Amino acid sequence: MSIEIRGIGKRFGSFIALDNIELDIPTGELVALLGPSGCGKTTLLRIIAGMESADAGQVMFSGEEATHLHARERNVGFVFQHYALFRHMSVFENVAFGLRVKPKKERPPEAAIRSKVMDLLKLVQLDWLAERYPSQLSGGQRQRIALARALAVEPKVLLLDEPFGALDTKVRKELRRWLRRLHDDMHISSVFVTHDQEEALEVADRVVVMNHGKIEQIGTPDEVYSNPATPFVYQFLGNVNVFHSRVHGTWADVGADVGAESETVANAHEGGAMAFVRPHDIDIEHSPVAGGLEATVQDVHAIGPLVRVELAHQSELIEVELTRERATELALVKGQQVWLKPRQVKVFALPGAALEEGGSGI
Amino acid sequence: MSAASRRANAEPRWVRWTLLGVGLSFLFFFLALPLIAVFVEAFAAGVPAYIAALKDPEARSAIWLTLFVALFVLPFNVVFGVAAAWSIAKFEFRGKALLITLIDLPFAVSPVVAGLVFILIFGAQGVFGPWFAAHDIKVVFALPGIILATMFITFPFVARELIPLMQSQGKDEEEAAISLGASGWQMFWRVTLPNIKWGLLYGVILANARAMGEFGAVSVVSGHIRGETNTLPLHVEILYNEYNSVGAFAAASVLALLALVTLLAKTVVEWRMRKETEMLDAALPPGKVE
Repeated sequence: MSIEIRGIGKRFGSFIALDNIELDIPTGELVALLGPSGCGKTTLLRIIAGMESADAGQVMFSGEEATHLHARERNVGFVFQHYALFRHMSVFENVAFGLRVKPKKERPPEAAIRSKVMDLLKLVQLDWLAERYPSQLSGGQRQRIALARALAVEPKVLLLDEPFGALDTKVRKELRRWLRRLHDDMHISSVFVTHDQEEALEVADRVVVMNHGKIEQIGTPDEVYSNPATPFVYQFLGNVNVFHSRVHGTWADVGADVGAESETVANAHEGGAMAFVRPHDIDIEHSPVAGGLEATVQDVHAIGPLVRVELAHQSELIEVELTRERATELALVKGQQVWLKPRQVKVFALPGAALEEGGSGI
Repeated sequence: MSAASRRANAEPRWVRWTLLGVGLSFLFFFLALPLIAVFVEAFAAGVPAYIAALKDPEARSAIWLTLFVALFVLPFNVVFGVAAAWSIAKFEFRGKALLITLIDLPFAVSPVVAGLVFILIFGAQGVFGPWFAAHDIKVVFALPGIILATMFITFPFVARELIPLMQSQGKDEEEAAISLGASGWQMFWRVTLPNIKWGLLYGVILANARAMGEFGAVSVVSGHIRGETNTLPLHVEILYNEYNSVGAFAAASVLALLALVTLLAKTVVEWRMRKETEMLDAALPPGKVE
């Protein structure tokens, strides 16, 4: 089932949680709503679920108006960050709940409920826990039970609110891959909310990046990562070094050198511009390079497969990530004078000036 | 105990014994001794006199009236308490702080004042008094007045007990039930009520103890009509003022027994609640790992 969101707005007092949101979620897609806390992503999800009402705009399911449908009539499966399992019911009864509360006419007979629940528990690989209570399960197991419970009523849409937010890193990684497979098997549309960019980029078909109640960018994980539409998206998805053209005149030249159209850079100059460079898009050279920035090595940390180098350029701190091989080759020491050369720069006009996209890669 | 083996944060032995001694003697003189005295006085003239005092029609009427009022008031307490706690814990609305304060009003107001308020409203010269008199309904100095006063006095107990409990449980489970297609009633009976049942029972027990023991408010509205509007505490007072000490203490011993039963029930419920809370705590998600 497709979901269309038309001009949804929501305020809490004077706080604007959502501002004129437009979003299409085609059937069968797994979409991530990504953003920092307070950006409105959970509110949007709850409006889709019918747990929160919008002040303005419409929600359509398969082209049909659903804005005023009660949550229980929307036929959506909702998975909560803190699982929200019924604590006084066994795992089996938790999963059976949606079937047991159906009106008498639609309610399946006891035997059918039993076999359906056991099938779902097998699907989430926890059929051996049917008689346990939620308090006896681990976090990962609870969230899988919560998923089985949501799937029991055969929802057309699955909505997940930070489903892995309360789990530790290892379980979270396992569970999100498992969710991806499950989504592909079930042929439903899923929307999940997350503040973890890695999670969104890994699992989702499409990522919706939100900030301050607005959508910043919609695109595939690759699009939003390698071609961010706004400075916010650039900064939110991974680490980034920011250079202001007024301060770092040379970096605009660097931008030009690496292929940014000089006209754009010139335009941007009038209102001031910001250049964004990812730490892994900067190379370090021992000798001066054309357009290179002179900097001093401040610190060198080896972090897993990467080596993070902190450098000082005048009063600014610049972060560079090198592969271990490259770091060994360079053999950097504290206080060493080096030259930085970016492989890819993206230039944005400063807020207030017209947004100019002057970035390009080599 | 040598200074070396003593834990750094332990008080000297004499401090602990003094504190313990003060606590225990207070308990003995102010709680145990009076309780013993009640039973000693009640049986002072022997067991037959005790039984006779309780078999007295006025005493029996007072016992029945007390039990009836308590039982009658409880359902109202449950409905009001759950409704108030629900609205406070699960919804945001204007005047929420005011409602919380109002719920505490019966705790703050002197019971005598509470009783007088009902006289002012329903009494012969009161606001609604003439209307009730015209329809031949007796409120003040009759059973309805006693029930109203008792209800007023016991209103806060259930709500006070449930508000923090429901606030700590949040509304996730209710929302989950609704998203799974449950109706409002199904959600309440299958999800909310099982989660609050021990807290509810605890509140009911406290309210019940207060309902049976209430003196001030009831005394003002009851009119002290023997065999009709005399509750057990009022009965005790009347007999005592008439120097009928065996009768007074026999009736008081019934109240004391009711209190002991309440205490026992309260302990059992508290114990169950603690077990449930431990389960609830275990059911809480582990801390967020970033």
